[in-house]
Amino acid sequence: MLEEKVGPSEMIVHIGPQHPMLPGPFRLNARLRGETVVDSEVEMGWIHKGIEKILENKTYLQGITIVDRICYLAALSNEEAYVGCVEKLAGIEVPERSQYIRVIVEELSRLQSHLLGMGEYASFVGFVSMFMYTIKEREDVLSLLDSITGARITHSFLRFGGVKDDIPPGFRDDVKRVFPNVRKAIDSYEDMYSTDSIYRARTVGVGVLTADVAKDLGVSGPPLRATGVPFDIRKDEPYLVYEDLDFKVCTETAGDVYARIQVRLDEMRESMYIIEQCLDQMPEGPLFAEDTPYGKRSPVMRIPAGEVYHRVEDPRGEMGFYMVSDGSDKPYRVKIRGPVYPTLQTLPPLLKGVKVADIVAIAGSMDTCTSEVDR
Amino acid sequence: MDANTIIDSLSGQFPDDIYDTDVESGIRILAKVKPENVVEVCRYLKEELSFDHLGCEFGVDYPDRNEIEVVYLISSYDHPVVLTLKAILPRDNPEIESVVPVYWNANWYERETYELLGVKYINHPDLRQLVLPKEMLGEWPLRKDYKGFPNKTAKNLV
Amino acid sequence: MELPEILFNPLVRGILGLCLMGAIFLGAMAAVWFERKLSADIQQRYGPMRVGPHGVFQLVADAIKLFTKEDIIPKNADRLLFVAAPILLMGSVFLMLVAIPFGAVVINGDTYPIAATEMDISILYIEAMSSISIVGIFMVAYSANNKYSLLGAFRNFARMIGYEVPLGICVVSVAIMAGSLNIVQIAEAQSPLWFVVLQPLGFIVFVIALLADMGRLPFDQNESEEELIAGWITEYTGMRFGLGFFAEYIHLILGSMLIVLLFLGGWNLPEFLTSNLILGIILPTAFFLGKVVLVMLGIIALRWAVPRFRIDQVVDLSWKRLLPLSLLNLGWVIALGLLGV
Repeated sequence: MLEEKVGPSEMIVHIGPQHPMLPGPFRLNARLRGETVVDSEVEMGWIHKGIEKILENKTYLQGITIVDRICYLAALSNEEAYVGCVEKLAGIEVPERSQYIRVIVEELSRLQSHLLGMGEYASFVGFVSMFMYTIKEREDVLSLLDSITGARITHSFLRFGGVKDDIPPGFRDDVKRVFPNVRKAIDSYEDMYSTDSIYRARTVGVGVLTADVAKDLGVSGPPLRATGVPFDIRKDEPYLVYEDLDFKVCTETAGDVYARIQVRLDEMRESMYIIEQCLDQMPEGPLFAEDTPYGKRSPVMRIPAGEVYHRVEDPRGEMGFYMVSDGSDKPYRVKIRGPVYPTLQTLPPLLKGVKVADIVAIAGSMDTCTSEVDR
Repeated sequence: MDANTIIDSLSGQFPDDIYDTDVESGIRILAKVKPENVVEVCRYLKEELSFDHLGCEFGVDYPDRNEIEVVYLISSYDHPVVLTLKAILPRDNPEIESVVPVYWNANWYERETYELLGVKYINHPDLRQLVLPKEMLGEWPLRKDYKGFPNKTAKNLV
Repeated sequence: MELPEILFNPLVRGILGLCLMGAIFLGAMAAVWFERKLSADIQQRYGPMRVGPHGVFQLVADAIKLFTKEDIIPKNADRLLFVAAPILLMGSVFLMLVAIPFGAVVINGDTYPIAATEMDISILYIEAMSSISIVGIFMVAYSANNKYSLLGAFRNFARMIGYEVPLGICVVSVAIMAGSLNIVQIAEAQSPLWFVVLQPLGFIVFVIALLADMGRLPFDQNESEEELIAGWITEYTGMRFGLGFFAEYIHLILGSMLIVLLFLGGWNLPEFLTSNLILGIILPTAFFLGKVVLVMLGIIALRWAVPRFRIDQVVDLSWKRLLPLSLLNLGWVIALGLLGV
C-alpha cells in the first residue's frame, strides 16, 4: 500500500471520491514530492451496483432497462451488445430497416458522448467557457435523440429482433437543420484548440503513450487510435450494416493528450457522415421480422442453451458481453466487459513523474466513466 | 491467419494440455486448457500467434457439476479471431496460476474474480479486494449459493 | 488654493475615511457584478436576473448570506494565524488605497488630485504594500492544516517571487521617464503623450506581471478548482471567506487604476475641455474612472477566454521571458532619456 513507502520530504494527497472535477467517484492516492508525482494508486468501488448478479435474477426483457444504466452517457451501445448476444443465441434475424435505425441512434449517441467528453476536458484545463459551448451543441443532438427514442439518456429503445418505434416523419428536416450548425461548431473548436498557445502548452507532449505500450497495457478506443493503431470493431468485425457504409478509421500518431482530442473531433465528423448515408440508404419495410415469436409482444421467452461473446464499438472503446444461457427464461451468467476498465488501470504507470496539474488533464483525456468501471 | 490454422497450431504445440476444441465460426474458436499450464499456453498465444489483447478474464460457477470455470477471452489487434479459453477448477479449492506476467492488464480482472468467486491466484503481485468493501471479503457474492441476495448485499450499510 | 480649515478636523477626516471605505466596498461589489454578467454573456447565458433589475442587488444578497453562515475553525488549525490572515489581506489592500488618487479636480488651471495622502515616494510605497499580501496568502494556506491549501501556498510563492522583479523594473522605467516617484506627478507628466506610446514593451510586460500579481487567470493556479478544490481558501467559511474574496476584487480595481495612472494617461484632458468650472470639476474624474472600468472589463473578459498555465510554465515565463524584456525596456528608456525626450 502506498502509505508505507513515504519518504522524507513527500506527502500523500487523496484526490478523493468527492472532488468537483473528477469524472465519477474513484480515489487516486498520489505520493507527491513538492509538485511532482512519485507514485500513485487507483481505488474504486464506490458505486458498485452488482449488475451482474441482478441480471441473473431478471428475465431477458427486464434486463434491457438495467443494462442501460451501466454507462448512462452512451446507453445505446450497452443495449446493442446485450441485445446482440441474445439474438445470436436464439438465432433471431433483424430486418434491414431496424438495423439502419439502430445505426442512426448509436451514431447519434456517440456524437453527444464525444461532445460532452471534449467539453468536460476543456474545463479540466481551465477553459470553462468551452464547456458551455459544447453543451449548447449537445442540446440539439439530444433533442434529435429524444424525438426518436422518447428519452434523453437511458433510452431502452432496442428490442430483440428490432427497435421499439420507427423514426418520426419530420426527422430528415431536423437533421438537415441541426447538422450544419454542429459541423460549423466542430470546425471552430478545432480552430480554437490548434491556435491557442496556452492550450497547446498544456496538452502537446503530455501523457504520451506509444503503440507498443498501449497494446501491452490493453487500451482500446480513442486512446489507442491516437497512437496510430487502426483498431476499430466496426471495421474488423462488422455488426449491423456497417459493411455497407463508407467511413474511415481516424488515427493520429502522436499519442499525447492533444492527439486524443483530435481523434474525437474527427470521429464526430465521421458519425455525422454515417448518419447522412443511413438516411439516404434506408429501405422501407417492417420493424420486426414476419411471424416471429420474439419481439415486443411476448415478455417471457426462453432462449436456447449456449454461450456467446458479442462486442461493439462504444464511444470509449471495445465493449463486450459474454452470456451463458441454460435454457430458462433468465440468463445464467452475464459478464460485462467495459471499455474503461483497462484504461483506468493504466493511470499509475502513466502518472509517474508528472506535475499535479497534469493528473486531471491525463485522467480526463481518457474519458473515464466510473459507473461502467464499477458496474 | 484463419480459425482452423490457429486451432491446429495450438493443438499441435500442446497435445496434452488442450482438449475439447471447437470452431464455431470464422471468428470464434473455443478451447479448454488444463489449469497447470495456463501460463505456457498464453505465452505461446501471445508470441507466436499474435494474440496480444486479453479482452476479459472471469469465472462461471456451476454448483451442480461442482466446478468453477475460469474463462479467458483472448483476441488480437491484427485479426478479428476471438479465442475462448476455459480452465476447469474444483469448486471447493479453486486455485490457478496468474497470467499477469504475460498479459499486464489481467491484474484487475483477477482481483475481481478472486473477491467475487473465491478463485485464488498463485503468484499474483497484489491480490486484494477491488470493488467490494474490505468487510465482505470471504463471502464470494457471485456464487449461486450466496445467502444474502437480494435483501442484503453489503454488510456495512449505515 | 488653500484647503478649508474644516478638512483638518479629525472627526471630519474620520467620517470622510469611512465614506471612502464604503465606496470602495461598493466598487468591489460592482466589480463582482460586472464579472458575473460579462462571463454569462461570453458563455451565452444570462447570469443573475432576479434580485433587482438585471440582478443588481445579487451581491447584497450574497453578503447577507455570508454574514449569516456558521464560522468554523478546524480543530488542528493554528488559531492565531487562521484568524489574523484575512485581516492582513484586507490591511494590505487598504494600505495601498491610501496613496492612490481616485481622480482630479481642475480649478482655474490648477489640478488638485483626490487622494488620501500625497507622498513623494508613493509608487514605491504602493509596490511595497502589495507585497504584504503574499505573506497574508501564505498565512491563510498554512494555518488551515489542509494539504490542498499547502499545495496552493507553494505555488503562490513560486509565482509571486518570479513576478515581483519584472513589475518593479517596469515601474522604475516609468519613474525614470517621468522624473519622479510621486504617482501624481507621473500621471501629470503624460500630458500630451501617454507612456504607452513611448514604451509599448514596458506596457505589455507590466500588464502581464500585474495579472500574475493579482492572481487572475491565466495565472490563478493557487485557486484552481480543478486540482485543488478551492486552493488556498478551502477551509474558510462565512465572512472570513468574504473578506478574502473582497480583498481579491479590490486588488483588481486597484491594479486597473495603476495601469491607467502609469501608462494610459491618468486624468489628463486637453486644455479647452477643462476651462469651464463645472466641466473642470467633473470631467477629469469621469474620464479617469471610465478608463479604469474599461481596463477592468478587459481583465475580466480575459479570464473566461483562455485556459490556465501549469505552475512550472508560469515560473518559466517569468524568469526566462519577462525579466530580459523588462531589462530591455529599461535600457530603451535610458536611451530615450539621453536623447532628450
